[in-house]
Amino acid sequence: MSDPTLDAATRDVLRLAQPRPRWFAPGLLAGIASAVMAVALLACSAWLITRAAEMPSLAFLGMAVVGVRAFAIFRSVFRYLERLSSHDAAFRQLAELRLGIFRRIVPVAPAGLASTGRGDLLTRLVRDVDDLQDLPLRVVQPLLVGSATALLSVVGIWLIVPAAGFTLLVCLLLAAVLGTVLSARLAARADRELAPLRGALADEVLEVIENLDVLTAFDALNPRLAQLARTDARLRRATLRRSVGVGVQSAVVSLFAGTATLGALYFGIPALDAGGGLLSPELLAPTLVVAVLVPMAVFEVFGMIPLAASAWRQVRVSARRVADVVPASPPAEIPVDVLDPRALLRHDRDAFVLELTDLGAHWPGQEKPGVAGVSLRLAPGDRVHLAGPSGAGKTTLAQALVRFLDYTGSYRLGGVEARLLAQTEVRRMVGLCEQRPWLFDDSIRQNLLFARDTATDAELLAVLARVGLADWAARRGGLDARVGERGALVSGGQAQRIALARALLADFPVLIVDEPTANVDSAGADALVRDMLTAAADDHRAVLLISHTPVPDDLVTARVTLPARSAAATAVSPCGAVRGDAATS
Amino acid sequence: MRPLDPRLLRYARAARRFLLIGALLGLAQTLVVIAFAWLLTRAITLMVAGQLLTEIMPTLAALAGVVVLRSVLIWLLEVSANRGAAQVKSQLRALAMAKIAERGPDWVASRQSARLSTVVTTGLDALDNYFARYLPQLLLTAIATPILIGVILWQDLASGLTVIVVLPLIPVFMILIGRVTQAVQQEQWQALQRLSTGFLDVVGGLGTLKIYGRERRQFDRIRSITEEYRTRTMKVLRVSFLSGFVLELAASLSVALIAVSIGLRLIDGALVLSVGLFVLLLAPEAFLPLRQVGAQFHAAADGLAAAEELFSILDDEAESAASRVSRPAAPAASTADVAVPAARTARPADELGSGSGSGALRLVGVSVRRGDTVVIDQLHAQFAPGELSVVRGVSGVGKSTLVAALLGFVPVTGALTLGGVAVPAGPGRSWLAWAGQKPGLFRGTVAENVALGAASADPTVSAQTVPAPVLVAKALHWAGAADVSPATVLGINGDGLSGGQAQRVAAARAIYRALANDCHVLILDEPSSALDADAEAGLIAGLRRLADQGRVVIVVSHRAAVVAAADHVIELQELTHV
Repeated sequence: MSDPTLDAATRDVLRLAQPRPRWFAPGLLAGIASAVMAVALLACSAWLITRAAEMPSLAFLGMAVVGVRAFAIFRSVFRYLERLSSHDAAFRQLAELRLGIFRRIVPVAPAGLASTGRGDLLTRLVRDVDDLQDLPLRVVQPLLVGSATALLSVVGIWLIVPAAGFTLLVCLLLAAVLGTVLSARLAARADRELAPLRGALADEVLEVIENLDVLTAFDALNPRLAQLARTDARLRRATLRRSVGVGVQSAVVSLFAGTATLGALYFGIPALDAGGGLLSPELLAPTLVVAVLVPMAVFEVFGMIPLAASAWRQVRVSARRVADVVPASPPAEIPVDVLDPRALLRHDRDAFVLELTDLGAHWPGQEKPGVAGVSLRLAPGDRVHLAGPSGAGKTTLAQALVRFLDYTGSYRLGGVEARLLAQTEVRRMVGLCEQRPWLFDDSIRQNLLFARDTATDAELLAVLARVGLADWAARRGGLDARVGERGALVSGGQAQRIALARALLADFPVLIVDEPTANVDSAGADALVRDMLTAAADDHRAVLLISHTPVPDDLVTARVTLPARSAAATAVSPCGAVRGDAATS
Repeated sequence: MRPLDPRLLRYARAARRFLLIGALLGLAQTLVVIAFAWLLTRAITLMVAGQLLTEIMPTLAALAGVVVLRSVLIWLLEVSANRGAAQVKSQLRALAMAKIAERGPDWVASRQSARLSTVVTTGLDALDNYFARYLPQLLLTAIATPILIGVILWQDLASGLTVIVVLPLIPVFMILIGRVTQAVQQEQWQALQRLSTGFLDVVGGLGTLKIYGRERRQFDRIRSITEEYRTRTMKVLRVSFLSGFVLELAASLSVALIAVSIGLRLIDGALVLSVGLFVLLLAPEAFLPLRQVGAQFHAAADGLAAAEELFSILDDEAESAASRVSRPAAPAASTADVAVPAARTARPADELGSGSGSGALRLVGVSVRRGDTVVIDQLHAQFAPGELSVVRGVSGVGKSTLVAALLGFVPVTGALTLGGVAVPAGPGRSWLAWAGQKPGLFRGTVAENVALGAASADPTVSAQTVPAPVLVAKALHWAGAADVSPATVLGINGDGLSGGQAQRVAAARAIYRALANDCHVLILDEPSSALDADAEAGLIAGLRRLADQGRVVIVVSHRAAVVAAADHVIELQELTHV
């Protein structure tokens, strides 16, 4: 099953998914026992019947009668134990696997995970990690069980009729190789031919459904449906063309199973007269019948190997995706702590000033800087509105300020260069309310407490009141109300307010608020911005509000505008008469 | 769970053909299985009787032929299953898309569009395994099992009776164990649901956790979540694996019973070897299809669930049942029924072609209800030509519903007239150009997006009087989007433009339609929510020019600059009653 195209990173991921031998062995042994007994059941039954036809005394058959019954029962018992034990081992390993992946994600998240902007990517990553459980369950286990049983049977038959054993071995090998090679070829061809067509169809369906209103209002629905039907017909024709190849694999396995039986008969019949396998000088009819019938049972067990091969292809894809998303070492754009013992942050809030000079930042894998040439000063009490068209790098700047992204130029906190400080230290002073605040599937209390776990319920309720959520929380049933999976029970505006409440609890001297109105309907946006700025600015805190929509003058002390695609330096304009000296470039 | 949903056969003609072909192939396969067992028995009996290889050769040759035939049949069955699945999926998809188009945008809006499109595309792929694995086995169970039991009975009554007694035990135990499993699962369900998403919750929220310096504390959390997930899942599996255990035990134990009973009767000479061996080889085959059906239970459940979701789009019953229920609870309906025919008598509807309207758009006592709630109640409004009218109101007051009503996407009661002419119900309003809250752009160039629907509208008006590229540039300019090149190529859903650019291109598309088809009414829903002040000013200037040409221009917006530029502001009030 080794594959030369597997890169080291994918192999590392796969290694994490395979349970340690101590957990894996019991299931494997039970599996082999069950499969061997399935073969033994047929062998023993065949021997029993053929020997009985020779009409010996009943005493000669006693062992066979017991054997047939025992094999029938224990085969099922061991199979049950195998499934339980192997699933248990896979679940035990899941904890190790998740921790191993998480250990790698922690230093690079969130900015270093390939395009994390898309929520579905994370969902897929987690699903891929969970799908890696199939490696022990559906790849390694059936492969080892199938091979071990086949090998034991080949040896057994070889002892009876050497030529028949050899035929069985050749048939098994050919079936395995042809079966897996053919199915791999077919799967690859399907990917090549059908995947693009499937993708095109899915895209078109989504476009039509999502924009049904547009297509209807612009009288463009019927041409689009006709186009969709053409794409569908192309996919159907390609699938039908390919269908001829689909059944080939099972047909090949069935063909070789029959060949092995025929081979056993062909070599066995003369051997009965000639006598003399290795087992006994004289070959008896019942023994020979066993050699003829066992291949049938072996191929039944063996059927799991082509299935394991196709499971392996899926596992490999999952592992590769995980390896792609989670780099083994952080990319250059993600900061790594280089601590300077002389760099000590003074926690003197009144004098805590954030200064940027010609700051730039890159997203991993992007050639052009996400933001460049930003100069800015934030002192306690400042409320600066950072504006600029989308794509200008506003969010990039926010990610750099909390050290999720590394920066060029200078970024000083309380006079100390930020890259000399531990990232955790920077984040203790500079907080961020994200564009899409993450709410954990837990109670309101737990969603607030992790910002300051010593907070009392009274403090939590007070902070909810400050962000305008007191009534809402009361209506929902207090701090124990759940927010739902991914905050499903909470609106976009409420999520922003909860995020702000967390930030207030953590009491960051500098707070960055990134597009709080991005997921809020436009009518509620103004009130949200007003409430958030008012609440955040209470404690002489410095606030940087990132927003592409206008913000009323009375709420901010200065404005900074990032030009489109951050061409040159930023324009900083003092805002009205409020505080002309707040920001200078 | 029904083994086979009759609706599948009703909607998809290809499914019927597959069932017929599958049944024929299943029958052929059963005969081949019997022939294989019989020939193998014969070869072995001859061998035991001491015949030479040359004398047994014809039997071996026949056996080889059967082996080849068997694998050809396996191949044919898979091919036909694959073809059947592809054709059924295609037929169901076409039906579903036609039905979705018929039900209209308002119906889609009440559902998750991503979910809907998954149902129609990848969701249907669950039918692949349903057709390839489950249905053939179901057919075989129906065809092969009775034939095989008949043959065994005919050969050896005792063995046949053993099979007949044991076989029904399989479904009985499966059902019993299924019940217990379900009970255990329901007990664990909520906990399992939460635990299975627990890791995603931690990974997804990692950025947030890092901001608060909590990332290191998550290792213990992940370990305990996963460990609890394991113990709870194993509790369920211990029961649910029992069904597999019973399947295998029943099959192998009955083979053992038959083997021992045959053996004992062979010693007595009550049976001959040829019959005993033949029956021994056939007995497992009698159990095989039923075992496979049990093993493919998940393929079946997934396939039927996928089909079920699709039927929820196709079936009308649920819909009409819901409306039947809601009707008596709607007292306002009687007044509405009077209003609609009254409005219709004003003038024949088809005179309302493009360019013909010249007067005001008037709403008299217009109401819209969604289910049991009245969203717009008795609205009176007039939008005059040449004026820029702005509609505003707090969130949830029904602004978007009003727009949908003007577009004809939702049924309204009351009178809606344009220049004194009643507007017919339903979409397809050639006098109306519109841009919605979300841009709704398509794959293709900006120019193609802006000129959407131009080809299918009225070709004599659009393309010939003004060359399209010029008109596209003009529309972009008037939408304040002169900086967006018409040649820019967009990805799926207009990917490749910033939010503000997409919004302006969408506005340009509406303006293009207004200019090209000489639409009398232009409606823009929150056209500047993602725009900065400069772009917004550009758009407002363009709208002013369109109004100056004598059009009715309606903008839904709360933005101060738009409201300031309005000739006429309509404030939608929250309904005080239900």
